[in-house]
Amino acid sequence: MNTNSLNYLVNSLYLIKPELAISITLVLLVLVDLIFIKNKKFLPYVSLAGLVVAGYFIIEQFSTNTFAFATNNSAGMLIVDPFGNFFKLLIVFASIALVFFSLSSKEIKESFERHGEYYTLIFGMILGMMIMVSAADLIVIYVALELVSLSSYVLAGITRQSLRNSEASLKYVIYGGISSGIMLFGISIMYGITGSTNLYEINSLIQAPQIQSLTFVLAGILIFVGIGYKISAAPFHFWTPDVYEGAPLPITAYLSIASKAAGFALLIRFIKITFMQSVDAEGFWHLLGIIDWKTFIIIISILTMTLGNFAALWQSNMKRLLAYSSIAHAGYLLLGLAVMSNEGITAILIYFIVYALMNLGAFYVVMLIANKIGSEELDDYKGLGYSSPFLGASLGIFLVSLTGLPPTAGFIGKLYIFIALVDAKMIAVAVIALLNTVVSLYYYIKVLKHLYLDKSQKEVPAFSASLGSLVMVVALVAPVLIFGVYFTPLVDLAKHSITLLGF
Amino acid sequence: MTGNNLIDIALIILFLPLLGFTVTLFLAKKVKKIYLFETLIIIVAFVLSVILVFLKLNYFPNATTTSEVSWISLGSISIDLGIMVDNIAVLMIFVVSLISMLVHLFSIAYMHGDKRYNRYFAYLGIFTFSMNGIVFTHNILMMYIFWELVGLSSYLLIGFWYEKKSASDAGKKAFIVNRVGDLGFFSGILILFATYHTFTFDKIFHQISLGVIPFNSEFWLTVTGILIFCGAIGKSAQFPLHVWLPDAMEGPTPVSALIHAATMVAAGVYLVVRVFPILTSGALEFIAIIGALSAFIPATIAITQNDIKKVLAYSTVSQLGYMVMALGVGAYKFAFFHLVTHAFFKAALFLGSGSVIHAMHHEQDIRKMGGLRKKLPLTYATFLISTLAISGVPLTSGFLSKDGILAGTFAFGNLTGQWFFAFVGFLVALVTAFYMFRLVILTFHGEPRDKEKYDHAKESPFVMVMPLVVLATLSIFIWYTPNPFNPEQGAFLSKWVKAPTIVTPQDSRYSFLKSDEAQPEANVQGIQNVPTPSSTEAANSGEEITFSKTYTEAMEHAHIPAMMLSLFLAGIGILFAFLFYQWKKLDADKLAEKINPLYKLSLNKWYFDEIYDATFVALTLGISKVLAWIDANIIDGIVNGSATVTKMFSSFTGKFDNVVVDGMVNGAAYMSGFIGLMFRKLQTGKVQTYIVLVVFSLVILLFLFKSF
Repeated sequence: MNTNSLNYLVNSLYLIKPELAISITLVLLVLVDLIFIKNKKFLPYVSLAGLVVAGYFIIEQFSTNTFAFATNNSAGMLIVDPFGNFFKLLIVFASIALVFFSLSSKEIKESFERHGEYYTLIFGMILGMMIMVSAADLIVIYVALELVSLSSYVLAGITRQSLRNSEASLKYVIYGGISSGIMLFGISIMYGITGSTNLYEINSLIQAPQIQSLTFVLAGILIFVGIGYKISAAPFHFWTPDVYEGAPLPITAYLSIASKAAGFALLIRFIKITFMQSVDAEGFWHLLGIIDWKTFIIIISILTMTLGNFAALWQSNMKRLLAYSSIAHAGYLLLGLAVMSNEGITAILIYFIVYALMNLGAFYVVMLIANKIGSEELDDYKGLGYSSPFLGASLGIFLVSLTGLPPTAGFIGKLYIFIALVDAKMIAVAVIALLNTVVSLYYYIKVLKHLYLDKSQKEVPAFSASLGSLVMVVALVAPVLIFGVYFTPLVDLAKHSITLLGF
Repeated sequence: MTGNNLIDIALIILFLPLLGFTVTLFLAKKVKKIYLFETLIIIVAFVLSVILVFLKLNYFPNATTTSEVSWISLGSISIDLGIMVDNIAVLMIFVVSLISMLVHLFSIAYMHGDKRYNRYFAYLGIFTFSMNGIVFTHNILMMYIFWELVGLSSYLLIGFWYEKKSASDAGKKAFIVNRVGDLGFFSGILILFATYHTFTFDKIFHQISLGVIPFNSEFWLTVTGILIFCGAIGKSAQFPLHVWLPDAMEGPTPVSALIHAATMVAAGVYLVVRVFPILTSGALEFIAIIGALSAFIPATIAITQNDIKKVLAYSTVSQLGYMVMALGVGAYKFAFFHLVTHAFFKAALFLGSGSVIHAMHHEQDIRKMGGLRKKLPLTYATFLISTLAISGVPLTSGFLSKDGILAGTFAFGNLTGQWFFAFVGFLVALVTAFYMFRLVILTFHGEPRDKEKYDHAKESPFVMVMPLVVLATLSIFIWYTPNPFNPEQGAFLSKWVKAPTIVTPQDSRYSFLKSDEAQPEANVQGIQNVPTPSSTEAANSGEEITFSKTYTEAMEHAHIPAMMLSLFLAGIGILFAFLFYQWKKLDADKLAEKINPLYKLSLNKWYFDEIYDATFVALTLGISKVLAWIDANIIDGIVNGSATVTKMFSSFTGKFDNVVVDGMVNGAAYMSGFIGLMFRKLQTGKVQTYIVLVVFSLVILLFLFKSF
């Protein structure tokens, strides 16, 4: 290794400060856990400190637009650009929320002795996701994906409280293993055809003589399976309801946001970089014609949201209902990609901020209620709107926002997706999405009906959560309402963040 | 010290009452003394507005400071939120904050013991917030939003004692009548937005000055102006929508003082002041006619009313009509001047009547009062000063502003030959002096007519009297001008309130309002100085913008004769009031019998309510009855008929119905459910099934997307 490449490596370290901060925190967590073997109280605070530092580094380098770990004449392994930084920031935000969730979760508190592993694994997952959103190389993508998956398999079963916990974990392992196997198969085929694992290099290699082969299509779709499983797009979503239901609630919330966000970032990057031909003046993408990604994504997204929404109609368990709802939301988000334009990506980014807030909020309230009444069954929610007015009203706001009704932020998210669709003249797709929203109204409002209109047979004692949890709920309700009315900052941030290195 | 500080202060003033409202409303039941918090908030807001007025008028007398943020931006359309601090706005905010604060203090004693005491204060908070919003907004959309918010708070406060049917009815009436006006207002806003793609006043003015007008027709510009004015007709209770205001007196009296006399009803005038530059001569003439009718009709009604608050209510409508008429004839500065002076003396009159009502144990009929001046000396003194002001007696503020308006109508007659407005103006001055003194004499002079209530009456506590004294003091000329006979010498009219630059096309203005400069470009340059981006300060190049020297000069000429004539008429009005009611030289009852039809017309408020009941209300009810009849007979008939037809083919249709129609209906209802169930069935819980499904769908996808 000559000094020149060494310089590249050292310089690259400056570009991955957020990842380094997360890695160091991970090591620190192990050490703290070993040193204070009896006292696990420090762990969440160490985690928070690490996340804040990482968040600071991300904001610091937000507008950077370059490769990390690049040698003189080739594209690098990692990309540092506003797009990636946006998702990293979202992941850090979700992780901070996760720490707070864990602090007030009964399930997590009760598995006290495994807190060391719990926080360490979370940081492993964060690290994996951060690399996932900035990876430019198929091998790095695979390793990052595995890091995320392995951590989440264990986290899904961490409490070992009940059978459903372990069952969720085991199903997740088997399903995830197969999916990543399929993806690895796709990666190896792609390497076989092009002789490269770097997305930018593959892009330039397939540019001139356009490869027209079934094998390449096969490789592309196989890789999509790996990513599709992460974002729980139908028909690769089957693990989602079972794992979401079985996993401890904070982890469910986290999987539905952070891991989905990372998956989306990866998917957008993979498709945009690998298959890009040119972007026209209006921001529409012209992809290489090897795979008709547009039709592909449209089919997947319509399938995803329709399946998610219709299956949610029958759910009687809150966690399962939210699991299907999160599948449906993945469908809406995919529509933003299906537009294949910068406007669509802007819409996705806006939607993600909004989705993170309202989904975290909904899960958090469900968790607070579960802490008190020990159940996530809808039947046990009867009359809760009266026995616990604040939590009931907050859950109502989050659900209205998830439906996408004004004046909540959820409306803004959907609005921008629909505008992007209409601008791209994809009216039929927009209509299908709209009808899906109507279907979703049924099951979200069903929850409200249980909260307010149904009388409970048994006496529900009035209860309220602790002050800290209430502050947390307010912190999530307030932006959902404020962004529903004043959303210019969201739009500005999203517009600023669609810069992908190279395009 | 920059313009940004002004914006900061304005923002704090705007949002403080909202804070007061939220806190007070949520803690209304838990903390008994929370109304003190709300009062404190309003006092702070008042102090800040004093500071704001001082800074603005001393350091930036010629600048307009605006600040805006983008609210919604979708493609080419951008909707901004912003506030604008100019002289008119700060003067208005001073009036609103001061009266709001005094009314808060007054209410502490007046509303004492009410079961929804705290909630009352919360409502006052939301009202003050909305009113501040109207004052500070820099665009017409926000104006409309806050417009509706004051409408809401007015509705809540009119119907505050909603157990009383008349109160809740009055609230509904106010709300519905206002909807009629707001429909026009909103249509006007939509025309403006469709033409200019912006709601911001400055940007709209700028484009009009460049010659861009709705549908390329001056007629439509006139229509737009009239439509926007419709909002003012509703909110300022102008003819023919004035009917809600007298009924609104069902609300607590301090509310009547704050909302239905001094501030909210003046918002309509404020709106016209704001959009004045875009009003064409046609629109102005319409406005003047409406104003004249609104000044005259209620004045004649007020003569015969016996409820102390009703008299004041009609007098409010009449005075608002004055302001609107003044705007219509181009006396812009005096219209705003009268708005301010009227706010103070009318608030004093209403709070004074509140003090009387309080002392008389909620007796409002002046026929049962009399002689109260001995019992309520301070209330009497302040009430008398305010009455002198409203009647236009020298040394009062009302004399100055009313005189200016009359001079304006005089000048208008001189320049155009239309003497109608001057005639109405002077006639109303006479009538006003008469009915106001009738009110004073019947209430405070003579012998008590209800001995028992009189004996129990005693002067109100300090928190109630203090506001009266403050407001009466503000009805003296000295605050506005050093010379009690020439308001133009005071800073208020010479420095603070400036006539705006009119932006309408030259040939759609009154001939005397045409730009004095030969080239129309001069106007364009003038308007370009108006800052559009955030917080610029543009001095109007030192020179005062006047929309017309001709008009100003004509007004100066008209000043002395108008003053003489109005003094004379006010004197006659007061004299007759004394002749009828104090000295009893003339018998009012006999006169009423002699001119019975006129008396009846006035007593019954020109039968407006009856006419509306017989026309609009009856029409609406009639339409709904017709619709109900159609529903019951024709539609049901069709249904029944078709049922008969169906019977004839029963054997066939029965089957059809059972199998196809029911099938479709039920199918539609349950299809969603079935699809859901189907999808749910896929979720077997067995991971091996999932994997088989994944591989299966993988193959299908591959088959679909094999690209050759």
